[in-house]
Amino acid sequence: MKSNLKNVFNYTLIKISLIPLNLWIISSLIFILLRIAPGDPIDAILGSGADQEARELMRIKLGLNQSIEIQYINYLKNLLNLNLGNSLSNQEPVIEIIRNALPATIELGLFSILVAIFIGFPLGYIGLKNKNKKYDYISRIIGISSYAIPPFWGAMMMQLIFSVILRVLPIGGRFPIAENLDSTTGFFILDSILKNDLNAFQGAIYHLALPSLTLGFLLSGIFSRSLRLNLEKAYKSDYVDAATSRGINEKNILINYAFPNALIPIFTITGFAIASLAGGALLIEVTFSWPGLALKLQEAILQRDYNLVQGIVIVTSIIIISINLLIDIMIAFFDPRIKY
Amino acid sequence: MHKKRYLRKIVLLIFTLVAILSQYACKKKINTSQNITIASSGKIESLDPARASTLKSYQLLNALGDTLYGLSNEGELIPKLAKSKPIFSKDKLKIFIKLRENILFHDGTPFDSSSMKFTIERFQNIGTLNYILNKKIKSIETPSKELLIINLNNPSSSIEGLLTSINLTAISPTFYKDHFDKFLNNNFIGTGEYKLKRFSNEIQTLSPNTIYWNKKPKNNGINFIGYNSFSTLYGAFISKQVDVLLSNSIDDTLRYKLNLLNKKNYIRESQSEPIEISFISLRTNKIPLNNIDIRLAIAKSLDRELIRNKVSFSLRSSASSLIPLILKKDNSVSWPDFDPKESKRIFREQGYCDGNILNLPLTYRSNVPTDKLIAFYWQQSVKAQMKDCFSISINGVESTTIYKNLSEGIYPSVILDWTGAYSDPEAYLSPLLSCDKFIENHCLKGEAVFSGSFWASEKVEKLFKESESLEGVERLNKLLEIENLASKSLPYIPIWTSSQKAWSQNYISKPTFNGAGIINMSELLKNEK
Repeated sequence: MKSNLKNVFNYTLIKISLIPLNLWIISSLIFILLRIAPGDPIDAILGSGADQEARELMRIKLGLNQSIEIQYINYLKNLLNLNLGNSLSNQEPVIEIIRNALPATIELGLFSILVAIFIGFPLGYIGLKNKNKKYDYISRIIGISSYAIPPFWGAMMMQLIFSVILRVLPIGGRFPIAENLDSTTGFFILDSILKNDLNAFQGAIYHLALPSLTLGFLLSGIFSRSLRLNLEKAYKSDYVDAATSRGINEKNILINYAFPNALIPIFTITGFAIASLAGGALLIEVTFSWPGLALKLQEAILQRDYNLVQGIVIVTSIIIISINLLIDIMIAFFDPRIKY
Repeated sequence: MHKKRYLRKIVLLIFTLVAILSQYACKKKINTSQNITIASSGKIESLDPARASTLKSYQLLNALGDTLYGLSNEGELIPKLAKSKPIFSKDKLKIFIKLRENILFHDGTPFDSSSMKFTIERFQNIGTLNYILNKKIKSIETPSKELLIINLNNPSSSIEGLLTSINLTAISPTFYKDHFDKFLNNNFIGTGEYKLKRFSNEIQTLSPNTIYWNKKPKNNGINFIGYNSFSTLYGAFISKQVDVLLSNSIDDTLRYKLNLLNKKNYIRESQSEPIEISFISLRTNKIPLNNIDIRLAIAKSLDRELIRNKVSFSLRSSASSLIPLILKKDNSVSWPDFDPKESKRIFREQGYCDGNILNLPLTYRSNVPTDKLIAFYWQQSVKAQMKDCFSISINGVESTTIYKNLSEGIYPSVILDWTGAYSDPEAYLSPLLSCDKFIENHCLKGEAVFSGSFWASEKVEKLFKESESLEGVERLNKLLEIENLASKSLPYIPIWTSSQKAWSQNYISKPTFNGAGIINMSELLKNEK
């Protein structure tokens, strides 16, 4: 046990030491890709009607008149000092913009994962228990649909059904227009609980419902498929056979034997799900006008706001790398079969 | 079997209960505001007049602040913070503006000439669009609290139009003292009919300014909300989650649907005077478009009526001018009309047709849905009527990329649009036609390069200069002469003009606009639903 802990510790150290290299590669790639991409932030800021003099002045003001090499060196220097620079379009510190938008994305992400688990796990289990029967086919169809449905279309359908036809949920935004919540953490649900404000809590939940249901449904296929496969594998294992022969009932076998073992590979998949969440969230945030990081990223790309795009990509990468690292450590810690 | 049926019934019952409960609960939550909720596309990055550059920020700043002058629906200058119309010195290098007295900013400090001087100088210092002003204004004097004197570098009659610019909305020097050289994005202290109550990029709340010097707003306040997608915007309006829908960029199919609802009296629709011009820019410095006859033949192949009917469902007006009608009083200058026979005759005369087909690469902004349809219908119309002489190949490129590449002369022809930075014919002509450096008719440096036409004319430059020292009808005639020259040389082909549109629910009064296409928020009135 002690030796395994030491191995896990060494493995963690190696993984952590690789993070700066990962980040350097990502930040360099995004820097180069943005400069190669056509378009100019000056046009996005001044519009096409500005004269050459105004353009040049703006270029100097934003430091874009310097050579790419100098821009790159300055960018890396700033990164080492944890300075993501200022947004080119509104001159606000990138870190501030990210700080304001990140809680909305995390809130949406967390609830979407919860929805995905709530939909995916029962579907996977029902499918397995009714193998090759009606419910299995239904569960498979739902699972495959969640992969196949384009997020923007899914989002629009949800809006059409729940907002336009049934009129039960708000079509977009993060909080009721008429209400005001003095947010301290940026997480509206948490804030409303901390402030004991039921109206704000209801408002935040209502606004979160549609985007998180949509994104959660789109991610649920990953969970239903993986649970089905891993649970099936677990049920075929010796320890489940042994438990069955000892007369342990089905419910106990599921809870105490099959499910915990099936969960370990799902941890790994959760890492992938979070990465795909970042991609899926973009379209969901845009469609539902959810003021999160993905929406900021889309706007920053359209405006060719180099600093903001770089900042968002780096922060998102850090989050994804950290979560994956955490999952790796957890798996290493909980699964004695895994050796490092 | 019984168990299954029983289970189904329970599930159905739960679903129904959840639906009823959520409907009951949510009806309470969705749009319960006493304010009027206006939805528009996109978000507001900044409420700083020095940074404002989008129609949406102009709309808000117009409600929160006042400029020296406004523009009537007839295009006339209306004094707002100024007491009377500007008076020019004999040499036209000084403008005397008398200011209203007893006006207070939202922070309680008084408005006077020094605050106007602060506003203008701050815009000159940090304004994103300060290039529209910097070459014109030399200095500003404030001999008394009620008198502002603007010294000009050269005679400039367009300065009148510039004084209506939302970018010059008066701001409180006391409040902005630490922001003379930097933007203040999330707050605003001006003199307007509304005060800013709450600001986020997505939602802004305005409450009536009880100490406003002019007519007070008719409503209890405004919620201004931004949605990112047209479908969300449309859905929010149709489901009555918002009271007013305001957008000139909403998809034409949705505009048409809303127009039909208006005709059935389900909603109310209104529009501003057309202020946005869509046009095709032709690269005149390279063959074959350096040939004026080819440009004429191309211009005559454009079926504006077809495009208007098919793309905008006849909801936009065809344009045969680069200046919106409101700014030129009459329609004396006109671009060539659609005439496919004449177009073919010219192409034939220039050695095309009968096996030698001129192919025009036409670029459109892929992120502007109407541009794609314009390009498509023009392409198909040409294919149907003159395929033996002329063809069009269309190519979509994202707008930011197009703007970057325009000055590099990459696109032989490109569909663009333009709204003047201020309400003056010059604000439409100069950004398209003026040129600082040119050889014969080829512009090497200047606005015509950035508009992708590369067309220049010595006479046009001369007329621009002459117009600066003129006023009124004489000046307008000079500018129309410039437009006339452009209509003969055809560096651009106007397509249509667009209006700012607004739709309101039946329980809201019909929206109205001022001459600059800005909605009059204070006129909106909410009746009982």
